[in-house]
Amino acid sequence: MTVSSQPASEPQAALPGDAELRRPVVAMLADRAYLAVALLAALASVGIVGYLLYATWTHTDPVWKAFGVWGFLSGREWVPVPAVGDPVFGALPFIYGTLVTSAIAMAIAVPIAIGIALATTLILPRRLRGPVAGTINLLAAVPSVVFGFWGIVVLVPKARPVLEWIAEHNLRFLLITALIALVAAVFVRGLARLVPVTLAAFALAVVVLTRWDIPGLPHPEAPFALLSGPVLSGSYALSGLVLAVMALPVITAVAREVIATVPRDQIEAAYALGATRWEMIRHSVLPWARSGIVGASALGLGRALGETIALAMVAGNVQNIGGSLLGPTSTAAGVIALQWGESSDLQMAALTALGLIIFAITFLVNLFARMLVRRGASGPGPVERLRSRFRTADEGTAADASGAIERLRREGMDGAPVVPIARRLGSVASEGLVLVLVALGAVPLLLLLFEMLRSGLGVMSGDFITQPQPVDPNDVRGYGIRDAMIGTFVMSGIATAVAAPLGILTAVFMSEARSRSGRWKRLGDGIGMFVDVLLGMPSIMAGVTLYLTLVLAMGHFSALAGGFALAVVMFPIVVRSSDEVMRLVSPGQKEAAQALGAPRWRTMWSVVLPAAAPGIATGVLLAIARASGETAPLLFTSLGSQVGFQGILEPIASMAQFIYGFTIQVRTDQSIEFAWGATLVLVTYILILTLAANLITRIAGARRSSQ
Amino acid sequence: MTDETDMSDVPAPGAADSAPVAAPAPQPRRGTDAPPAADGAPVPLRSEGLSCLFSGRVVVEDATIAFPTNTVTAIIGPSGCGKSTYIRALNRMHEAVPGATTTGRVLLHDHDIYGRRADPVAIRRRIGMVFQRPNPFPTKSVADNVLAGVAFTRTRLSRAERTALVESTLRGAGLWDEVKNRLHSPAGGLSGGQQQRLCIARALAVEPAVLLMDEPCSALDPQSTQRIEDLIHELKQRITVVIVTHNMQQAARVSDFTAFFTIRTEGEPGKVVEAGPTRQIFGAPKDPQTEAYVSGRFG
Repeated sequence: MTVSSQPASEPQAALPGDAELRRPVVAMLADRAYLAVALLAALASVGIVGYLLYATWTHTDPVWKAFGVWGFLSGREWVPVPAVGDPVFGALPFIYGTLVTSAIAMAIAVPIAIGIALATTLILPRRLRGPVAGTINLLAAVPSVVFGFWGIVVLVPKARPVLEWIAEHNLRFLLITALIALVAAVFVRGLARLVPVTLAAFALAVVVLTRWDIPGLPHPEAPFALLSGPVLSGSYALSGLVLAVMALPVITAVAREVIATVPRDQIEAAYALGATRWEMIRHSVLPWARSGIVGASALGLGRALGETIALAMVAGNVQNIGGSLLGPTSTAAGVIALQWGESSDLQMAALTALGLIIFAITFLVNLFARMLVRRGASGPGPVERLRSRFRTADEGTAADASGAIERLRREGMDGAPVVPIARRLGSVASEGLVLVLVALGAVPLLLLLFEMLRSGLGVMSGDFITQPQPVDPNDVRGYGIRDAMIGTFVMSGIATAVAAPLGILTAVFMSEARSRSGRWKRLGDGIGMFVDVLLGMPSIMAGVTLYLTLVLAMGHFSALAGGFALAVVMFPIVVRSSDEVMRLVSPGQKEAAQALGAPRWRTMWSVVLPAAAPGIATGVLLAIARASGETAPLLFTSLGSQVGFQGILEPIASMAQFIYGFTIQVRTDQSIEFAWGATLVLVTYILILTLAANLITRIAGARRSSQ
Repeated sequence: MTDETDMSDVPAPGAADSAPVAAPAPQPRRGTDAPPAADGAPVPLRSEGLSCLFSGRVVVEDATIAFPTNTVTAIIGPSGCGKSTYIRALNRMHEAVPGATTTGRVLLHDHDIYGRRADPVAIRRRIGMVFQRPNPFPTKSVADNVLAGVAFTRTRLSRAERTALVESTLRGAGLWDEVKNRLHSPAGGLSGGQQQRLCIARALAVEPAVLLMDEPCSALDPQSTQRIEDLIHELKQRITVVIVTHNMQQAARVSDFTAFFTIRTEGEPGKVVEAGPTRQIFGAPKDPQTEAYVSGRFG
């Protein structure tokens, strides 16, 4: 194989001995050293994160000892400082709050996301598709602290009258909702025979909700108590609404990718049979993309379940199980952020355990999601399977087909070739429904952009980015966010310095391991799985682990701990994106290098890495963008600071945390104005990073295609 | 078999076992001004001066071909001559590609399918199409695949009628014996040849007037190809078939008429060089280019 490395003076006749075919020792050592470095980096990073999680786990011991696993999971009481007796910790209210708010978010976000994905791939005029999809993607770049801030300041006041109306007229609201659902079902399915099914389901739901006394649900005496007042700002409904806006771009992006994989010949198959565009979507696109869309929704759900900071801001701190959806709630991740700072040892252990439970749930959801997204089109769906099971029974009834054939033939010959109005109308109405969904999805984005520009630009000035931060939230004139900006740069710098090299080397190792077999391959696969687990980890857990290890060990908060927590967030993103682009380097190129006698490290260095470099750079930039907007990991690592930069071993401010502090910890009209300014700066910074990442991809793509 | 009172001239499949129904023609047939094939048979489909464009670039120029009823017309020519583009323009599938447009006319029973009121959806329901690669709906069952087109029509069928239609259509496509025990399993599980015959059955189930086949055998093995060719022979008893093929033997075997397309150099539009009875095209071509192509000296 390594023919070219043979010395030219080799005598032709003699068979080359073992010695002559051996590579020089130095060359071999170089290859060994290269693999060793990659392996070490991979093992070290995985080991460090693994240790962090292990240390976190051991910190939860007191909780299990005091309450037992089941006792903690099913406990409905969470009383950290009781008037009498010992503190009690039960996780159920927070798990319930997390699940219900996420369910509400999914109920809102999934239809809208599917609508936007369909519209921006198939329905909207070609020229509009890119811009609309890009605008929705903007939402993905907005950090969750901004959503939380916007939720409190803009969305909650705007949604309150609507929710109050619903609370007063909940019966009528339910009827209207059911009617809309019915109409939508008829249009989407294009089948009148579904109406009775939907009606029956609705009637059943009404009966169940009003007649039967289900434990945990409100008493039947109060009809539709799920939607009764009073409307509270930290409610399930509003929290779910904010989560929906946050999950929307995630679901839309993946659903768009899935729909883009529907093969052209499937689309043409439906068109060639005389389908309208909507009929084509129903028969070709949706069945093909079904499992992928479910997977996309599950990815969005994973994001919603682990969301911390937005819910710490929007939802309250009240433990509440059941009751009205307009009543107060609190979620597991959110309560960690709210209570960690002033908690006792046992309470901290209980909060940590809560974090691990959420981690486990998101892990399962993400696992499920990834399975579905990767699987692509498969056999018939559950409904079709059920239908075909019933249908096999009537096989014996084969009658004479000539009547049907005659009718079909006559219909085909009938008059001029135009499509009946009713069918046209059905298709147009369905597509109209999709466009309504797009408009619904665009509303929150426009509200956010408008408010951010209006209020943010109002406080913008040279001072705003050059002056230290205000001490008194009632007197902000002449102050700025300089220290917070420096803090964000310092900590994302530390995080990048740690996560980028380790992440890229880990991806290099995974790439090498993949081309081998046996132990290497298994190790590579194992590391890949671990990275996937980290990818779905709620970011608050990064803060929790670093607090329990580094902060406790050092005895105080520091920029270093904050940077490391961000590194834990960045690491899996860097590995995943680097690994994906290295996979795309064609095996032909690698084999070409190897056939020339290039050792492994040379192949990687001169062939794979240069080809993958733009993609890796994009991944790192996106990871920095993500880290720059994170608040949750910083709350109990870098803490925040009122004074300027004092070295990386001291507490430090950051932009995201600044917004959080000026909204939650202090809240005045002036502080809100100031927070809008900080929001504008932060979002602009993250957008620049995101756009730079996109630009790199585009330039690299253009260069490749011009070669 | 031909029922002269009906303008479609397409007796129902299975009409041999059941009494053929003589339906009154919905519209009287007008005289045709362009002379059809030599034997004076009616012409359900023809193109007149049809040009196909992609983003303004002409790919097929000024193609005038008539497709007489109950015949098979083969469209042959070298790669890139626009034969696939041309056949896709015959049922307005051409415009499914962004930037694709046409000029000229295509007449289906004297209606211009590119006319102002004509609707591509209704056109395609009347002119079926089979593609190069079999493209059944993989998640739908075999039976649901057959009925997929029927779901797009106005015709509502009872459950018994649907069952009967599935059987009669699959029999017509020569697939019944192979799939009768797996009608309700996903179509993705069939072999490539079976899938292609299922696609033919799917196209036939709505009783189109014309069936367009775009290199239907190019992705199949010789045995499956043989079965499809046999099927085409049977189909022309009741329907008009247009088939694009790059295989000249296949054209000679299955077709009654042949149209030869070619391009002079790359980038120029494809044109019809010669069209006529297959025997004449292959036996005594008038144009030297046709002769060069059919004798294998070019293309």
